[in-house]
Amino acid sequence: MRFQDAAKDARAVVYAGIQADPLVARAAQLLADATAAQRVLARAAMNGESSEPDAWRTMFPTLFGTAAAAPGSPERERSEAILAASLAVAGRGEQVRSQLRGAIVESLTEQLLARRVPASSIRRERRILFDGMSAEIHPYDVTVETPGGPAEAYDCKWGARGISADVLHQLDDARTRAAAEGERLLTVLVIFDARRSCEVRLARHTAPRAGTRLVALESLDRLAGRRAEPAP
Amino acid sequence: MSQAADLVEQVVAALGRLTELGETIEAEWTYVHDLEMVWTARLRAVAGAGPADSAMPAVPPAELEAAIGRLVDEAGRVTDPHRAIDWLSTLPQATLVALGEAAW
Repeated sequence: MRFQDAAKDARAVVYAGIQADPLVARAAQLLADATAAQRVLARAAMNGESSEPDAWRTMFPTLFGTAAAAPGSPERERSEAILAASLAVAGRGEQVRSQLRGAIVESLTEQLLARRVPASSIRRERRILFDGMSAEIHPYDVTVETPGGPAEAYDCKWGARGISADVLHQLDDARTRAAAEGERLLTVLVIFDARRSCEVRLARHTAPRAGTRLVALESLDRLAGRRAEPAP
Repeated sequence: MSQAADLVEQVVAALGRLTELGETIEAEWTYVHDLEMVWTARLRAVAGAGPADSAMPAVPPAELEAAIGRLVDEAGRVTDPHRAIDWLSTLPQATLVALGEAAW
């Protein structure tokens, strides 16, 4: 098993431009430190129609209301910053917002992983090659490549609807081929959506999933080696 | 009916409208209805369980009513069926956050 940069085709060049947008890094940085409720705010506002911040402040009273953290506190400032970044994403137009959201989940995954493993071991847009096998079509969004250690491959999606049979097969095939070569490859789906919705989506598929981990919105902090935030 | 139950039923009605829109994506018909079913059950279970045993301060009733009303209004603005499918998952999570519950 070995890793290789994905081909720099037209899609890769365009997408690299999206990934390099400063708004992606900004949003991912904020979300890496966010609470579960703040992540739901980001999901809603980036998915929403309204562009007025006050509308969203009304919708999320636990973040902006009288029972929320005091104005000026770090917690409240983060909620405001997440709202501003999310509305900036939503304001980019339908196609670009969709690309930005995907890139944000990838960048968020990278940032959380960097709290658990050396940043130098984290790579983006990589293919995994196996002896005697043709290369997979789609590169992995994020990989952890540790010499002599187990490798990790992450496929990141904005919503549960992004879970497809192709994705499940690719992850499972990679894991089983690695095992056949005596290597360990941890395959993970990172979905910026509630596990409940992911399970609904997964229930429709017969593709293998038992060997693939699912990290959903409520358990993102596990990427960093932290326990998920307890329910309020 | 408690305030939470009344508000949750407004959200359930909004989920029904999102389902009508989302089911126009023929390939997603089953997924859309399954989403509506599981989230409706979750929301009604929360409403039926009474106030959350939460460490968070309770949201004043007027703020909660305004929050749910605005969330329902936001869902009503959705006209694109693909976005409706996203909102079938997003609206319940935002509702649960407003209610001071875990969003799942």
